[in-house]
Amino acid sequence: MGNRTPLYDAHTALGGRMVDFAGWELPVMYSSIVEEHHAVRNAAGVFDVSHMGEIEIAGKGAKALLEKLLPTRLAKLAPGKSMYSCFCNEAGGVIDDLFVYMKSEHEYFLVVNASTAEKDLAWIHTWNTFGATVRDVSATTAKIDLQGPRSKEIVLSIINEKIISELPRFCFAELKYEGDAMIVSQSGYTGEYGFELYLPASKTSSLWKKILEAGKPLGLLPCGLGARDTLRLEAAYSLYGHELDEATTPVEAGIGWVISSEKEYIGKAVIEKQKRDGAPRETICFECLDKGIARERCDVVRKGKKIGITTSGTFSPTLKKSIGMARVASGVISIGDEIGIEVRGKALKSRVVPRPFLPYRG
Amino acid sequence: MSSIPENLKYTREHEWALFDEEGLTCTCGITDHAQEMLTDIVFVELPEKGIEVKKGERLAVVESVKAVSDVYAPVSGEVIEVNSRLEDSPELLNSDPYGDGWICKLSVKNASEADELMDARAYEAHVAAGD
Repeated sequence: MGNRTPLYDAHTALGGRMVDFAGWELPVMYSSIVEEHHAVRNAAGVFDVSHMGEIEIAGKGAKALLEKLLPTRLAKLAPGKSMYSCFCNEAGGVIDDLFVYMKSEHEYFLVVNASTAEKDLAWIHTWNTFGATVRDVSATTAKIDLQGPRSKEIVLSIINEKIISELPRFCFAELKYEGDAMIVSQSGYTGEYGFELYLPASKTSSLWKKILEAGKPLGLLPCGLGARDTLRLEAAYSLYGHELDEATTPVEAGIGWVISSEKEYIGKAVIEKQKRDGAPRETICFECLDKGIARERCDVVRKGKKIGITTSGTFSPTLKKSIGMARVASGVISIGDEIGIEVRGKALKSRVVPRPFLPYRG
Repeated sequence: MSSIPENLKYTREHEWALFDEEGLTCTCGITDHAQEMLTDIVFVELPEKGIEVKKGERLAVVESVKAVSDVYAPVSGEVIEVNSRLEDSPELLNSDPYGDGWICKLSVKNASEADELMDARAYEAHVAAGD
């Protein structure tokens, strides 16, 4: 049996189809991935992502430690702001991608992937020669994502704080929920306006229930990992283990924009050179012109020659066609070029398209 | 509870087969239970007309948003007709798995293979057992 979030019983009561994900029993869907996907694009959807890892880094050495670990300029942050970044190894490969929330000058809150949380903690401890306090709060922290155009009115109907409606993207407020600390962040992983809510595990069921009640009349659906994946892929957000891994640099993964720090961070020599001079591989977005679905780990061919491999692929419920991302040799193909994706011995005719498939709609 | 018509034969892998009176040809598809498990079917790779398949071999491929599933031949035979409507309307497999969502017709090679398939009652027990 895998780990269970505090909402396990709520999921099964809603008919959630539970699957193993990074050692966690989570719903892949409740009724239909396509319906849940459209609910988020057109109204709202709520996701239990309590499996994700949360790490607090605090104390006088916190800033210096993060400057060592992150290729992104820490000066981008201010109290109440968050940013996307990653940990790289000495060779520039991505150990994990994460969000950093700055609570105050000496207090940071990191949100990491569930499958990599232990590895991340070990990595942070390895480099913590700055005396920062590092605390894994994953087990006591729940995370609920509320995403979609109607999510603001839903969250306001539960937590009536004016600041929520004024939060710019990637900004957060530290509020109270039933007497406990809660982080309300205007951000998400779907390409829609929405919120990521962090609260004590003991309060998850109460908040989940209130969101379902308040959202139902507006078209909200509980959403599983299946819709989470189709939504993030339309927005061309990377997924660790797919677009990102330890053998792939941020430049190769197409997130070179996270590289902005002037400090001596880990992996700097390799990734700065790649950002300047180019990397051996690059990540592209494609759509299939032939009928069929390209999945992850399919060969990508150009003029009969293998040039790379797909990292993600699915049917896009919004665009109603097969889309995906692929890591290919640099400089071989450009936007508009035709490529083949090998599926069951046949090359699906596909075309390189701009990233993302769907612009952010917040 | 999914629908399991009495007049069909079933495989353990959740295909159905409808035999003509003489047992010379059969129409096949996936069961209501199979389409419920898959949900959101977005693509069907149909077999080519004229190919020979052996019982248990891959006959077609059904893709839902999340997963790829093989459809196996319930009996050995030649593919004599395919439901080309599925190329543009794969969702028929969800909405009408025993009707408009049929996949193909086979000419039956060994009549004895039909006897090895499950009847509706046996298939119902198979589904209930969660296989």
